[in-house]
Amino acid sequence: MGKRRFTEVWRVWAVVAAIVMATVVVTLRLVQLQIVDHAQYAADARLIHYGQDTLADRRGALLDRNGYPLAASEAAFNVMVEKRAWEDPAEAQAAADSLAEITDASSAEMLGIVRDTEAFEIPVARGLNFGQGVAVRELGLPGVRLLEGSHRTYPEGNLAAQLLGFVGQENSGLTGLEIDLDSILGGNPGQVIYERDGIGNQLAFGDRSEIPPQPGANVVLSIDRYIQRLAEQELDRAISDNKAEGGTIIVIQPETGQVLAMASRPTFDVTKPDLSDNSKQALFRNRAITDTYEPGSVFKLVTASAALDLGLVSPDTWWYDEGVVHVSGWSIYNWDNSANGSQTVQQILSKSLNTGAAWLASLCGPTDFYDYVERFGFGVTSDSGLSGEVDGRVRTPDSDPTGWHPVDMATNSFGQGIAVTPLQMVMAVAAIANDGVLMKPQLVNEIVDLLGSQVVEPEAVRQVMSPESARTLLDMMGVVSEGVPTAYLDVPGYSIGAKTGTANIATENGGYKPDAYISSLVGVAPLEDPEIAVLVKIDEPEGVPWGTVVAGPVFSRLAEQALAYLKVPPTEEVLVSSLQD
Amino acid sequence: MAANRRGSSAIPEVLQDANIPVILIMAALVVGVAALLPLVQTSLATSTGGNVSRLEQMREDWQTRLHEQEVRVAELGSLDRIEREAKVRLKMVAPDSVTYLRIDAQAPAPHKLPSRYLPDEKEPVESGSLWGDLFGWLPLP
Repeated sequence: MGKRRFTEVWRVWAVVAAIVMATVVVTLRLVQLQIVDHAQYAADARLIHYGQDTLADRRGALLDRNGYPLAASEAAFNVMVEKRAWEDPAEAQAAADSLAEITDASSAEMLGIVRDTEAFEIPVARGLNFGQGVAVRELGLPGVRLLEGSHRTYPEGNLAAQLLGFVGQENSGLTGLEIDLDSILGGNPGQVIYERDGIGNQLAFGDRSEIPPQPGANVVLSIDRYIQRLAEQELDRAISDNKAEGGTIIVIQPETGQVLAMASRPTFDVTKPDLSDNSKQALFRNRAITDTYEPGSVFKLVTASAALDLGLVSPDTWWYDEGVVHVSGWSIYNWDNSANGSQTVQQILSKSLNTGAAWLASLCGPTDFYDYVERFGFGVTSDSGLSGEVDGRVRTPDSDPTGWHPVDMATNSFGQGIAVTPLQMVMAVAAIANDGVLMKPQLVNEIVDLLGSQVVEPEAVRQVMSPESARTLLDMMGVVSEGVPTAYLDVPGYSIGAKTGTANIATENGGYKPDAYISSLVGVAPLEDPEIAVLVKIDEPEGVPWGTVVAGPVFSRLAEQALAYLKVPPTEEVLVSSLQD
Repeated sequence: MAANRRGSSAIPEVLQDANIPVILIMAALVVGVAALLPLVQTSLATSTGGNVSRLEQMREDWQTRLHEQEVRVAELGSLDRIEREAKVRLKMVAPDSVTYLRIDAQAPAPHKLPSRYLPDEKEPVESGSLWGDLFGWLPLP
């Protein structure tokens, strides 16, 4: 009896112990789930129950000065797939096949993307247009949704590719104005957090919080698409005609400093930039501001400006050219090794005499000469707002007391031993055409956002020289251009001013590249009241390298068409017929 | 007699009214309808929410279409296309020479930025005075 009772009690306690142990195990497991791993499971639950999207509004457009879009955005959709919705192979295959019929991606590719990811949700197709997006949406596939973004398009094709730049997959600027103006164009992204159902769709009455995105502002550039296209066409033609390596053309409005065109070659396809090939990344840079060169004889304008403005000479001041100038043991000759005898300052410019330029610089002296060089904006960035712009290189007695020698000033006077950017050079010439006032190069005319319009006013940097001296030099440029055969330099109906240059190309080891030149020309038109200042620079042309021969015809064709387009009346009456009412 | 007394005491007199079943049925119906009201309200709200979402989607779709059309317009107005159309379709060629005419007329107005790139114009808000608001309805001159 006693044994039987003991057995019964033991059984009861055994059951109780089992229940207690099970309870303890369950309790411990609950502690682990709800306390120890709470954060992990709460995060997982949020991931399943709540969706979160970054909302991006449309990126602002880059417009030319007349409102024509050069870069604009249109909607593009990414197809997002939840990994767990494609866990069943048969259903996943069917869904992928349906998507493949609409998108450009293959079903195998999409299945592979989902299979290989550890993420909750992943894009399987990108950049769908509106029609494709609607088609995917109408499929109503479980776990598949569209994420709206935008795609950058270039209505004018590759026009001003290096200046505009391009954006990356996340729609942020990577190069050019796209990155320089990214904070303005990009706007502010928003965010939405919402409760969703088992297949990922937003619950109509679920929790939802949204910070709306702010669209990017439209930016009106100073660039004129017609003149930009003209510049690029003429540059391409000049490179082709002269079998040159590349080149740059910049067109400036002297009175405002606004850049009407900025073209460089070689260039790239802005609609499909190749980021995989590092060797092609050099094509992305805007050579008008990132590359320097020795300007050669066009720099004689700066030297003459200094001497004229200091009152040391006038256009008719005489000087005797012996064909050589000796400076600190170095001999400087003219480009054609000529000795011209008595010459005026005007003839120094017209004949582009190196010896004459060295004489003018010596009259000024190093302090005043380099003061004018700096006042014209050389040696510092032009503050254009474009990233990658370089200072150039001007060695002065102050900046390099041990390295600078008097012969440096002599060679600098005719544009050698000094490195400038094409933009610096044309801005200096624009200052001469603008009564001696150096303007800040302006690329943005207006910023238009939801709140209104912000107009960017032209900004003067400094008065480089007196208006009288500037006018005198402008007239001297007119005489220079008159001395050039019309086959090379002529804009029918207009009087123009110009100066050509043919410069050696400096190498990294301090010497010059053999048989390689840069042919350039800076010009203004019309001479009476310049509307445009133009720099034409052709790199390493084959054959005759003279700036007159290579760059002159480019300027002539460009200026003729640009002036007509800008409705600048011709100044020579012979070509004008009057229409009487 | 005793049975009558027991019966009247077991069922209150008010419940012996013949209309009671009707009243009870009516009450049950009212309670039922009242119980359905939240369901109907929720259903209507859900339906309205769905309609709002659908209309928002339509608005976004139209906005997207509009942006697409803007880009198409820009592409149609591109200089490359204009030149191609001029040369290929209209058989135009570049001029051999240019003649300038001087006419006595006002120069055309400078090109304005297309309105689609300008901010939305807001309706001007009239700020009337307090007296104006009070007596605005009177036919005063």
